Amino acid sequence: MTGAAACLAGFEGIHVVIHGSSGCYYYPSTLIGAPLYGTFILENEVVFGSGDRLKEVIGDLSGKGGRIAVITTCVPSVMGEDISAILPENDIILVDSPGFAGELETGYRAALAALSPKVDPKRKGVNIDGVSLSDPFHKGNIAEVTRLLRMAGIPVGTVFCRDWAEMAAHAAPFTIGTNADFASGVGNSLGGTLGIPALRATFEQLERELPEADASRVFEELDLAEGRVIGVCDRFLRRHTPPSVAIFAGAAYADYAAETLKAYLDAEIRFVGTRNEPPAGKKTGYRREKANDLGVVAERIREAAPDLVIGSAFEQPVCPGAAFVGLIPPLQDRVRLTYPPLAGTEGTLRFVEEILNTCMDRVKRRSVPER
Amino acid sequence: MTSNPLPASTCRTAGCTLTGALSVVTQVTDTVTVVHGPGGCTHHNFSLLSATALDNGRPALPPLVSTDLRETDIVFGGEEALDRTLTRVMNGNPGAIFVLSTCIVETIGDDIEKICQAQQGCPVIIVPTAGFLGGSFQAGVNNALIALAAMAESSAPNGRVNLIGEKNLEYEVEENYAEVSRLLSLLGLSVNLRFVRNITTDEIARLGAARLNVLRDPALIPVGEYLNSRFGTPYITGFPIGLSGNSSFLAEVAKTCGINGTDAVTRERAREGELLEKFHDLAGEGVFFSPLPPDPEGRIAARDLARNVGLRFSDQGNPVPVPVIPPVGLAGTERLLHRWRRAIFA
Repeated sequence: MTGAAACLAGFEGIHVVIHGSSGCYYYPSTLIGAPLYGTFILENEVVFGSGDRLKEVIGDLSGKGGRIAVITTCVPSVMGEDISAILPENDIILVDSPGFAGELETGYRAALAALSPKVDPKRKGVNIDGVSLSDPFHKGNIAEVTRLLRMAGIPVGTVFCRDWAEMAAHAAPFTIGTNADFASGVGNSLGGTLGIPALRATFEQLERELPEADASRVFEELDLAEGRVIGVCDRFLRRHTPPSVAIFAGAAYADYAAETLKAYLDAEIRFVGTRNEPPAGKKTGYRREKANDLGVVAERIREAAPDLVIGSAFEQPVCPGAAFVGLIPPLQDRVRLTYPPLAGTEGTLRFVEEILNTCMDRVKRRSVPER
Repeated sequence: MTSNPLPASTCRTAGCTLTGALSVVTQVTDTVTVVHGPGGCTHHNFSLLSATALDNGRPALPPLVSTDLRETDIVFGGEEALDRTLTRVMNGNPGAIFVLSTCIVETIGDDIEKICQAQQGCPVIIVPTAGFLGGSFQAGVNNALIALAAMAESSAPNGRVNLIGEKNLEYEVEENYAEVSRLLSLLGLSVNLRFVRNITTDEIARLGAARLNVLRDPALIPVGEYLNSRFGTPYITGFPIGLSGNSSFLAEVAKTCGINGTDAVTRERAREGELLEKFHDLAGEGVFFSPLPPDPEGRIAARDLARNVGLRFSDQGNPVPVPVIPPVGLAGTERLLHRWRRAIFA
């Protein structure tokens, strides 16, 4: 349900209604930071039907313009009401996305499918996908990938899912991604933007597919950025042993983090736990498995005994002695006002910067004698 | 809640019973709470509770386990999943296990009581919660407090005071505790039990030993009544609110406990005057409340405070924040006045 809300609420002009109890409403409303509406159903509506209540809420929204999306939560989903029959006169986007149906990514995909996005062959530019309001890096990612595309003279097509609602039906023929866990499947995918090697490959593809594109300045920037990353990592390695790392995130971000740390810091990747199902068939040089149960996560951290943990505020308290870098929500340990990227050149620079500073802070902390 | 317009009906927005109960039971540190429902119900509460713990400088993960019901469990019943989860949790030898239900479980009609009664080992306590089916957030808090109170036996009086139902999700919970403890100490009283905040199951045993229960706010009166009927403990209905709250709180505690509180009340009244003097520069400034607190008690406390410091109400004035939950005691009032000064002059 939260994944579906994160997808649809990203489109301007769609009013998202969470059809369920108040408790179901609060989590997506706090996580995704976009306006949501709720039916806040009560016991009598579970017993006698929730249709009137849903009509009431839809009625309140009908004068606001735009489309209405209804996302059903667990109880309405099992009540078996035919919601499309309840609201036949409205052009409703209906997403059946109860919590027991799967993970956040499942709901996101179901919602995007319900929106029926289409490619418009005449649309110029390249779409950006992988954007989810639940991702703390999504704003930074959009800004950063937009900057790189403009540097290459490529207009931005539709941003999935952070755009005007009508743009979903007019996507450009090509797409590049910021996070494969939320891939749209719309248009011909030309690659990702997580990490410098992926950026190089993607912009080479863009130059091949789009004759008007000139990515030479992007390649220059990538070379320069990679040189800086190698320089600071090499300096770090002159004094420190590479960190041993446990990573917990969605599969795409987790793999990016592992590959970046391996490539530039010769880090020992002791464990990668993914919250969602990792892509089948992809070979990695490290142990990777799905781990979305905190008991399992704690056990894997104990086994791995890493000196750097990358993940969320859930993993942080499990390993108080290790350095910690936040990668996925919830990130609750400090004030955050800026919108940093993880994708693009700036994303990698910022990520490596944070890793090194955190590791060095840990070394300093451990070397200060207790008073 | 977000500020976007929602269909008007306060009974619909009174929060989730499950969240209310979890804010209480997860504060019993040697226990594990099993949430019988889909993983999402646990996940979002886990996130909220761990964020609150971090805010309060106690980065501990809440002891929560989900039965993680999937579609087949919803179709064929979730009792097996509950039984399996309880067995696994029991292996960790917790002090007690709390079992909380969710909306979907109440809808499909799992017999939670039967499964819990069959468990061998530590106490397994069912707390009635079921999201919208169980009532409001406050109902969850009250149900959990009463369920926990049932674990206590009568014990010899120790002359101390219980704090009942502190708002564990409140950002200023420790500051409010410090203020109330300070006030009690002015009367020679000390806190017997924070019921329930950061305690163990063993500590619950001394719940009935107190001479007085101080409720966090009047919404807890059913809990106060329950404790009064169970242990004969009198109660007062709330923490001190606003500028003059401290002196009236002291007077009420002193009267209920049969203590002479005249000196303490006089000293606290003097501090009220000192606080107003500290913020005399606010006098004459035009303000309006933004947003207006929904709670009438909060509105009255804020209005009284504004008048006392000499602020003028004006639509053209500076917007000043008013907390949803009124500030506790002089300490809370002083923090609020600093926020008002920032809003007026910054």
